Amino acid sequence: MSRLSRPTLLIQKGSVFVAEYTLIAEPPLAGYDETFGDMRLVAPADFALVSIALPLGREDKALKAIKTGYGVDLPEVGESILSKDGKVRLLRMAQDQAFVMFTHSKPDAAQVVSKKIKDSAYVTDQTDVWTALHLSGPSSRRALERICPIDLDTEAFAEGHVARTVMEHLGVVILRDAADSFVLLSASSSAGSFLHAVETSIHNVT
Amino acid sequence: MSQAGRIDGGLIDRSQQIKFRFNGKWMRGFAGDTLASALLANGQLLVGRSFKYHRPRGVFTAGSEEPNALVQLRDGAHQEPNTRATMVELFDGLAATSQNHRGSLEYDLLAVNDLVSPFLSAGFYYKTFMWPKAFWEKLYEPVIRAAAGLGKLSMQNDPDAYDKGFLHCDLLVIGAGPSGLMAALTAARSGARIILADEDFRPGGRLNAETLEVAGMSGADWAAQAVAELSNMPNVRLMTRTTVYGAYDHGVYGALERCTDHLADSGGKPRQVLWRIFSKRAVLAAGATERPIAFGNNDRPGTMLAGAVRTYANRYGVTPGQQVAVFTNNDDGWRTAADLQAKGVNVPVVIDSRDKPATLNLPGVKHIAGEAVMDTVGRKGLKSITLTNGKVIPVDALAVSGGWNPNVHLTCHQRGRPTWRDDLCAFVPGGELPVGMTVAGAANGSMTLASALAEGHAEAAAQLKDIGFKAKKSDIPDAEDEPRDCAAFWHVGESKKRAWVDLQNDVTVKDIKLANTEGFRSVELLKRYTTMGMATDQGKTSNIAGLAILAEEAGKTIPEVGTTIFRPPYTPVPIGALAGRARGKDFRPYRLTPSHKWAEENGASFVTVGNWLRAEWYTRDGEKGWRDSVDREARMTRQSVGICDVTTLGKIDIQGKDAGAFLDKVYSNTFSTLPVGKVRYGLMLREDGICYDDGTTARMDENHYVMTTTTANAVLVFRRLEFARQCLWPNMDVHLISTTDGWAQFAVAGPNSRNLLRKVIDAEHDISNEAFPFMACGNITVCGGVPARLFRISFSGELAYEIAVPARYGNSMMGVLNEAGAEFDAVPYGTEALGVMRIEKGHATANELNGQTTALNIGLGKMVSQKKECIGQVLSQRPEMNRDDAIKLMGFRPVDRTRKLIAGSHFLNKHDPADMDHDQGWMTSVAYSPNLGHHIGLGFIKEGHARKGEIVRAVSPVHGVEMDVEIVSAHFVDPEGERLRG
Repeated sequence: MSRLSRPTLLIQKGSVFVAEYTLIAEPPLAGYDETFGDMRLVAPADFALVSIALPLGREDKALKAIKTGYGVDLPEVGESILSKDGKVRLLRMAQDQAFVMFTHSKPDAAQVVSKKIKDSAYVTDQTDVWTALHLSGPSSRRALERICPIDLDTEAFAEGHVARTVMEHLGVVILRDAADSFVLLSASSSAGSFLHAVETSIHNVT
Repeated sequence: MSQAGRIDGGLIDRSQQIKFRFNGKWMRGFAGDTLASALLANGQLLVGRSFKYHRPRGVFTAGSEEPNALVQLRDGAHQEPNTRATMVELFDGLAATSQNHRGSLEYDLLAVNDLVSPFLSAGFYYKTFMWPKAFWEKLYEPVIRAAAGLGKLSMQNDPDAYDKGFLHCDLLVIGAGPSGLMAALTAARSGARIILADEDFRPGGRLNAETLEVAGMSGADWAAQAVAELSNMPNVRLMTRTTVYGAYDHGVYGALERCTDHLADSGGKPRQVLWRIFSKRAVLAAGATERPIAFGNNDRPGTMLAGAVRTYANRYGVTPGQQVAVFTNNDDGWRTAADLQAKGVNVPVVIDSRDKPATLNLPGVKHIAGEAVMDTVGRKGLKSITLTNGKVIPVDALAVSGGWNPNVHLTCHQRGRPTWRDDLCAFVPGGELPVGMTVAGAANGSMTLASALAEGHAEAAAQLKDIGFKAKKSDIPDAEDEPRDCAAFWHVGESKKRAWVDLQNDVTVKDIKLANTEGFRSVELLKRYTTMGMATDQGKTSNIAGLAILAEEAGKTIPEVGTTIFRPPYTPVPIGALAGRARGKDFRPYRLTPSHKWAEENGASFVTVGNWLRAEWYTRDGEKGWRDSVDREARMTRQSVGICDVTTLGKIDIQGKDAGAFLDKVYSNTFSTLPVGKVRYGLMLREDGICYDDGTTARMDENHYVMTTTTANAVLVFRRLEFARQCLWPNMDVHLISTTDGWAQFAVAGPNSRNLLRKVIDAEHDISNEAFPFMACGNITVCGGVPARLFRISFSGELAYEIAVPARYGNSMMGVLNEAGAEFDAVPYGTEALGVMRIEKGHATANELNGQTTALNIGLGKMVSQKKECIGQVLSQRPEMNRDDAIKLMGFRPVDRTRKLIAGSHFLNKHDPADMDHDQGWMTSVAYSPNLGHHIGLGFIKEGHARKGEIVRAVSPVHGVEMDVEIVSAHFVDPEGERLRG
C-alpha cells in the first residue's frame, strides 16, 4: 500500500463493497523554506492563483464588479495592488487579463473568485499551473541579477510591479511585493529546475 | 628578498609577499604584481616558445594585448592554457608553466624548426603537403598540429563554476583610464545609473603606469581618489577585472567578469560571470595599444614595448634590464627613457628614427637621430643591438615604440569602419558607431592626458543630455598635454634578418611581402594566408604594422588597404563562461509529470519528450528487456485495463461568447455545433493547408471549451491561437490560458476501465454507457469531493477515458487508480505501449503529421469543412495537394510474419529499381503488436486506399534491408470501433 493513498472505509454499492480513496495534495515545492545569509526563500503554503479574463465589450461591468468585490480598482498592466482587506493581490497581466493571488487551500479557488466578482468575467484556476517562490532579503536583487533579464532597479520596477519574463529558459512572472522582496511564479512541471535556478543564483552571490 | 629585476617604487604592496611557482621553481612577488611583473622581477626573461619556430620569447607588453607570455595556469583539472601572464594577478601558491616546447623551456627540441625556417614561410603547408591527398588528414595534419599550437588542455572536465547575469544602466563606461574615470565621475555626479568596467584589477589605466600629474597629484593618486568617490555612490557599479568584449544590438554589451581568478581557491563560487549589460548609452574609453617596429631579430626576450617597460617600472617597480635602450619613432618613447632614468635604470641610448632634435633633454642619454635598430644578439635574452649605422651597443633590454593605436575594436562590432588619421599614423573610430556609443580619450585619438580628461567629461555630458540627465559642471582636473608627434615608420628596411610583425603567429615582414607577391593582396586574404592577427591576441600589436607593410608593397595607402573586421570578443572568453551554469542535469529545464514520483517508485524507465520526462515502460520482476514490459502493458490494457499519465498533452482553456466561432476558424472541422458535454477530435492546418496539429476539444459549458494539443506542439498551438485572437480576429470575445500543468490527466483504457473508474468517481456521477457515452465529457468529483474532469476518449481504441484532477493530486491519483485497479490486474503503461496501441488502432501522431502531409494524406480529407472558413482551408485546395494518386495513410504487415519492419523504409513496386523515380511512399511508424503476434506498420503510399491486399517492397538502403509487405487497413485492431463505444 502506497503511503499516498489509502482506503478510508469500505462502503456498499449494490451488492459489493468497494474501497473509497482519499487524495493527498502534493504541490511540487510544498514546505520549502530556507535561509541563505540575508536571504530567505520560501514556497508559500496554500498558494492560490486564478486568472480573470475581461469579456470583450463588457469590461466596465467586470471592472466594477472587481472593485466591488475587492475594494480596489484593477491596476494598470504591469502593476499589482492589494485588496482593501490586504488578503488578496490583483495582478494586471494584460489589457484583458488579471491574476488573483491569495491564500486558499481547497481546490476551488476559481469558484471563490468567480463568486467574488459575481461571474462578471471568465475565470480559470491557475493554482496548479504555477509554482511560487518568495525571495526576500537585502541581497535578493543581486541574486536575481544572475537569471532575471529585466531591470529590477526600484526606479524601473517599483514595489507592486509585475512582469512576465524568462529565467534560465523558464517562463516566469515576477512581482515585487516589497523593496527587497519578490514573488516568482513559474510552471509547476519544471518546479525542480526553477528552484535550482533560484537556489544557484542565491548560492553564487552569498 | 633580493630580486634581480626589482627597483624602487610602484603600486605594489611590499609588506605582502607572495610565493608562486614557474615551471616548478618557487619564486616570490608582492601583492599587486602580475605574473609577468613578478617573473621579470625574478629575472625570468624567457617565458615561452613561439608558435611556429619555437623561438625563445619573453614578456612583450603589460596588458591584454600580450602575444608572447602565454602560460598554462594552475594544476590538474583547473589547468588553463594560453593565459596571458600580463593579466594574471599574482596569488599565493600560483603555479604556471610555460607552453609550446618539447623538452624544457630552455632546451626545446622543436627549436630545430627555427633552423629550417627558410622552408617554413607563409603558405608552406598549403604548398608542401599536397601529395598524396589522403595523407593530409591522417598524417600531415596531426603531426603539424602536435608541433605547432599553444597550450594544452587538461583533458578533464572543468571543475570550476561559471555564471551569467544581466545588468542595466543609463551609461556604461568602458575603460577606467583618465577619460573613462572622468566620464564616470561626470555621469555619477549627475545621478545617472552607471557601470564603469575595466579589465584591470586596479582602475586608472595609464595613470597607474605613468608619472604625469593630474590636479597637482600623481596620476595614480588622482585615479585612486576618483575610484574612492565612485565606490561610495549608490548609483555606480564599479566593475574591475571585467572586460567588455562585445558591442551588440540595442546598446547591449557582453562583459566577462573574472571573479575568483585572482584567488588561490574560488570557494565554490563562480570563477567568472558573463554579463549582458543593457545600456541606454555607452562611452568607450578603451585607451590605446602601443605597436612595435619590425626589425631583424626583434623578438628576443628583453625586447619590449616602450610603454610596457614604463609600466613595469612605474607601477610594479620592475625593470627587464639594467641597460635599457629605447628605439622609437615618436615622442612618447622618450618618456620611457625619462621614467627609467628617474628610477635609476641606465638608459645608454635613445634611437629615434626621426631626424629631429631630442623630445626631452635627458642628461647622460645618448640621442641617435635618424637611425634604427636593425639586428639584435642574444638567444635567450638580449645582449646587444646593432644599428643601421653599423654601431653595436651592448644592452640587456630594448624598449620599442612604433606609436599608438586607438582601441577602436568595439566601435567596429556592428560593421563600423575606422578611419585613418595621418597625424596619429593610426585608425580612429569611423562614422558608424554602434547605436548609443560615443568614444572618448585615446580610443578616440585624443592621445594626450589633458585632452583625454576633457573628452571623457564632454562625451559623458553629451550622452547624459540625450537621456534626460544634466551633467553638473564638474571641474576638469589640471593636466598637461604631453608631446605626441609620431612618424610613419613601420619596419627597418635595412634589416637582412627575419623581422617579426606578429609575434604570436610568427609572421615576418618577408611573409607579408610573399603574400603580396603571391596575390593575397586583400587584407582579409593576407590574414588567412599568413595567419597574421589570428589567435588569442587577435593581432592587437601587429595588425597595423602588417597592413602598413602590405600597403607599401602594393603601392597603396594604408586607408586604401583598410583593416580586417574587428569582431567580438575583444579578448578571449572561456567556453566555460559561455556555457555558464548550464551543465549536467541542469543543462536545460526538465519537466516532470505529476505522477513522476509514483512512477519512479514503481519501476518506470523514463524517456525525454521535449523537456518532459515521461515513463516509457514499467519493468516488472522477471522481465528481461523493454519489449517484455511493453508487450505486457499493451496486452494487459487490451485484456483488462491500463493506466497512463497523459498530462504532457497541451491543455488550453478557451472561454468567451465567441469561443465556438473562434474554434471553427482555427480547426479545419466545426466546433460551434458541438453540444455541451461532448468532445470532438479536431485537426489544425497551417496557412499553407498542411496539417500541423491534432487533438480533442471538449465543450464544458456554453462559452467554455478545453482544448488538448499534442505534447510537442503545446506551446506552438497556444502561440498561434493567441496570434489569431489578438491579430486576426480582435473583435471576437475569446480568451485563452494554458492549463497544461494545472491538471494531472490519466488515460484509463481497456474493457475494465469503467469498472475501475466507478471505484474512484463519486457515486452521484453516472458513467454508464448510456449516461456517459463515447465522446462525452463532464465535470465530476472523485475520492469524496475532489473536483475532476472526465472525458470519454480513446487513443488505444479500447473502451477508455481520460480523467483529470488538479495537478497537486496527480501523484496520489496514480496510486489510487492502480490500487483500485488491482482487482482487475490493472497495469500502468508508458509511452511505448501507448505507441504500440495507437499504431494498432491506426491513429496518426507526429510521425504522420510531419509537416509535409495533408488531411487527405492521413485519410481525414472530409474533416476540412467546406461550409466555413478556417486557417489553411483555401490553400489546402491546391490541385497538387489533391491529386488522385496522392499518398494515403495505410497499414502494412510483413508477408513473412517473422520479419521486423523498419520505420523510414521506402515502398517500391515489385520489380522497380530502388530509386526516387519509382518511390511509392514510406513507412512512418512500426511496432511489434503483442495482440497480433507480429510486426505492423503505418505508412504513406500512393493511391493507398485502392491498393489493399497488394504486395510491395519495403526497402531501407540505410539498413541494407528489403522485404515484401502487404498493404492493409491502418486499423489493425477493432476497425469498426465497437470496443471504444462499448
